[in-house]
Amino acid sequence: MSIILEVKKLSKHFGGLAAIGQLDLSVIETEILGLIGPNGAGKTTLFNLISGLFPPTSGKVIFDGRDITGLKAHEIAHLGISRTFQASLLFMGIPVLDNVFTGYHMSYKTSVWSRLLRMPSALKEEELLRQRAMEILEFTGLASLKYELAANLAHGHQRILGICMALATNPKLLLLDEPMTGMNIREAQTMIDIIRRIRDRGITIVVIEHNMKTVANLCDRIMVLNYGRKIAEGLFEEIKENKEVIEAYLGKEGT
Amino acid sequence: MDNLRKKCRFNRNNLRSGKLIGLFILAIILVLVPVVVHNPYYIHLLIMVSMNAVLAMTFILLLRTGLITMAIAGFWGIGAYASALLAVRLHLSFWLALPASTVITGIIALLLGYLLVRRGGIGFVIETLVFAFIIVLVFGTFDVFGGYVGIYNIPRPDPISLPFLAPIEFTSKTPYYYLMLFLVLIVVLVFSAFYTAWTGRAWRAIGLSPRLAESLGVNIFRYRLLAFIIAAAVAGLMGSFFAHYYGAIIPSTFGPYKTLYVQVYAILGGVNFAILGPIIGTLLMTIASEFLRISKEVEPIVTSLIVILLVMFLPDGIMGLIRRGQRPQSPAKNITRVAGWIRAFLSTTNSDSRDRK
Repeated sequence: MSIILEVKKLSKHFGGLAAIGQLDLSVIETEILGLIGPNGAGKTTLFNLISGLFPPTSGKVIFDGRDITGLKAHEIAHLGISRTFQASLLFMGIPVLDNVFTGYHMSYKTSVWSRLLRMPSALKEEELLRQRAMEILEFTGLASLKYELAANLAHGHQRILGICMALATNPKLLLLDEPMTGMNIREAQTMIDIIRRIRDRGITIVVIEHNMKTVANLCDRIMVLNYGRKIAEGLFEEIKENKEVIEAYLGKEGT
Repeated sequence: MDNLRKKCRFNRNNLRSGKLIGLFILAIILVLVPVVVHNPYYIHLLIMVSMNAVLAMTFILLLRTGLITMAIAGFWGIGAYASALLAVRLHLSFWLALPASTVITGIIALLLGYLLVRRGGIGFVIETLVFAFIIVLVFGTFDVFGGYVGIYNIPRPDPISLPFLAPIEFTSKTPYYYLMLFLVLIVVLVFSAFYTAWTGRAWRAIGLSPRLAESLGVNIFRYRLLAFIIAAAVAGLMGSFFAHYYGAIIPSTFGPYKTLYVQVYAILGGVNFAILGPIIGTLLMTIASEFLRISKEVEPIVTSLIVILLVMFLPDGIMGLIRRGQRPQSPAKNITRVAGWIRAFLSTTNSDSRDRK
């Protein structure tokens, strides 16, 4: 049981507002960690900080024994952290397969000139990556939609496609930002299934989720955020009884 | 399913060979033009169309990566001045000045791009526009560049000597035309190499969504800088040709108005078609202005009218019309669409200040 991601006293201020304040967090290898909390608790901000979308005000992020604080998003992607976005952020105008294929950006080695000359090695590499993209689509059940434009997919499929693209970067740690919003029960069950199978491939997962039932069902461990601070951490049974958590979700008694 | 796939692949191959045959026929026609057309004015027009089309291609290249550049004519001018100075002051042969000025323009773009490309969005538009104005002032003010009278007596390309044949002398328009065709061929090859390779995918990814591209490991700054340098170097190449073709250059030729025209050519042709679009757009605009014989004073009015009509009726350009076999859309819808693009452009490219949640 080794720790893959460690966040130490992390803070992010927007003007006078502390979106994240003095946050400590450890993620254990190959677990599914659930991140919950009311709206505006700073969950997405935490993801943005870890994935390098903007730098923290203070504190440290350590991934795989390496200090990654303040690195750019693409550098962090190279180190093995991948993420999905809350709104389905995809390359809408291009086909599903091309979306996943673009995710292989970092694996590609062929030079511009050998591609122009249609060298066998270049075409072979492209074919190989295309095959790997197909494998991911088959793994998540989108294979039959590969020629469809991303914009034409149903909402549930778009969310799955977002995860496919994140998987194409070959991550060690996957950050999922509300993968199940707006899904019906059956779609959500498919998604839970996919997330579990991704974990079974040895990928650590942190997931933001609102629905308590799903969280209880899916996550090994849970962390609760409120106003940018950690108010509880542990198994679902422990969290459920925590007074602060209940207050955060239901309001204080007598108010 | 497998059957379907085979069919798709078959069609794709078919399409490719069809495209090759089409290009081959086009090449033959272009090569034979001077044999049929004897009026040097039309040859001159074709040379200018080719040059402007290539400049429009550089606009689309940067547009792909989400950057709207106003500096095309500026780099075109840098290429022209570099080449003219090398030839006039250092007595370098055109055949050396041409690649040298391309490289010089590329290096200047590298230095400048390092400062400008980081920002993106509306900031980049303004900065390149400022650069476009400044470069004209620089050419006009400093004596090295000949001031506002410019540089004249730029030598013609040296004759190419061929075994067994008479040397090719650059005395008529025709050899310039063939030289231009050769340059266009090289540029198109370079562009399609970059577009089909991984760089093209990375550029498209950045253009579609910088944030997503970044999260997939694309180094936005590096790829944008690369596009900026390629675009500038190609514009410099065209500038070098232009200087030796005209024999004289003045600063005002390279002002930002030229860039605006180039952008109109690109948009008229269709920005989704990086190579064919500019060629079609430039050809049509040139033919139109020749047929209408409009005076220089009225031309900007006509051009801006075309831009407005384009936004309303053909936001994807002429090529977009051909490719989709189009159902026409209402003008209002098109305007909303273009407004949506602009809004997306403003909001996505300024990722530092806006991605606060």
